Amino acid sequence: MSAAPPAAPAPAGPKIRSLNCPNCGAPVVVRGFGHTLNVACEHCLAVLDAKDEGVRILQTAQQRERIQPRIPLGARGALRGEVWQAIGFQERTIQVDGIPYSWYEYLLFNPYAGFRYLTEYQGHWNFVRTVNALPEERPGKQPAAVYAGQKFRHFQSAVASTTYIIGEFPWQVRLGDVATVDDYVDPPRMLSKETAGGEFTWSIGEYVSGDEVWKAFQLPGRAPAAQGVYSNQPSPYKGQVGQIWKLAGFALIAWFVLLALVMTLEGNERVFERSYTFSPRSGGEPSLVTDEFELKGRPSSVEVSVNTDLSNNWAYFRFALINAGTGEAYDFGREVSYYFGRDSDGNWTEGGRNDSALIPSVPAGRYYLRVEPEMDPNAAPVYYTLSVTRDVPSYAFFWIALPLLLIPPFFVTIRSAAFEGKRWQESDHAPSRDDD
Amino acid sequence: MRYRLYAVYALLLLGGVAFAEYRGWSFLSVNEVKNVPKTVRDNPGAYRSHYAYYTRYIGGK
Repeated sequence: MSAAPPAAPAPAGPKIRSLNCPNCGAPVVVRGFGHTLNVACEHCLAVLDAKDEGVRILQTAQQRERIQPRIPLGARGALRGEVWQAIGFQERTIQVDGIPYSWYEYLLFNPYAGFRYLTEYQGHWNFVRTVNALPEERPGKQPAAVYAGQKFRHFQSAVASTTYIIGEFPWQVRLGDVATVDDYVDPPRMLSKETAGGEFTWSIGEYVSGDEVWKAFQLPGRAPAAQGVYSNQPSPYKGQVGQIWKLAGFALIAWFVLLALVMTLEGNERVFERSYTFSPRSGGEPSLVTDEFELKGRPSSVEVSVNTDLSNNWAYFRFALINAGTGEAYDFGREVSYYFGRDSDGNWTEGGRNDSALIPSVPAGRYYLRVEPEMDPNAAPVYYTLSVTRDVPSYAFFWIALPLLLIPPFFVTIRSAAFEGKRWQESDHAPSRDDD
Repeated sequence: MRYRLYAVYALLLLGGVAFAEYRGWSFLSVNEVKNVPKTVRDNPGAYRSHYAYYTRYIGGK
């Protein structure tokens, strides 16, 4: 996202009122003049009454550690169609399981548009405004709030205290101010309810990238990288899970269509079949060659099958599919073994009487098979049938492609779920906290 | 953006499957031998198979 150009020319230089801090004597600038109720001295952190002619001291601070706002007070920047000036800064802190978590709030002022807030937590920014209409709160296991037709899910409730303030504020502000904050999210927006002293204020924020803030206020260097997943940070996977599964559905349909086409269109043509008997006890030359047969068409697969009548025995067949014209041969071997019996577990079998080999990309031509069977020299004769089939589909590619098609959608789904898991892990509704 | 990449990926994958089927590819490892003499037809025992020294598994429970 980038900052939209301002809708109107930048306002003329704001009327600035200068005064001196009665606590430390340092100059204090009041930029939001008519609206400013309190101003916190940037030097001694004393909170002053800006409405009082004598600039009465409302609170003094003992803090030793100073926080340097990333957006200097007085800086102006065009953000979301308006020019804003940073006039106030506060740190607010909540305690979760005894651990303090702090975020920063910048008060922005435009004399025509009023006040806005920029909040920052570990590199995550939100552009916030108060809302006029009252959101509808819906109780439940996970409460919700509806504002302008948009439903926000409850994320977290906590008691926030103000732990650092400098600059101007249009409300009475003090260090140690306490408010109950209820956050509801529907990324990239967040609806917040702050309750203090029996009054409540609703505000709505929209996630802004640090780069957009940096560009808007022309800050030096680069925005600090955002850490972790923020409550209303838009998911980079939003919309992608459904989209990729939709595409995966189309891909699966294409997979089925392709499979059906292959099953229908592959030739699967039997080009040779003949039966033989091999008797190892005869002691003669075991190898033989078959009659020639024709393989037609484009380079395609050839399946050589051997079906035997083996019984508790094995046979090994060395094959060579030889092109009678070119003398090129495809050498391969197949072992067939079939055993059966009965033991304490019952009947058992092992192996099979048949086997086959699929030879890839065999060009057209006239071919014959050289077959060299081998068995135990004392084995009984085996009767076997050789068959050669042209253009046999290899479904292995389909079964490999199927999981490969499904891996990306599963991956995106898991990543998306992991992102949402990280988001909600920090909420009051984290799965691990359900039993608390 | 990711789903566009996926569309390209799926098309390439299915295209590859179709091409492999068309060309009759398989995973069988065969040894291709050049210039087998024509005398093999008359004397099949003279051919030296690449698998002549294959170690057989003798099965049985």
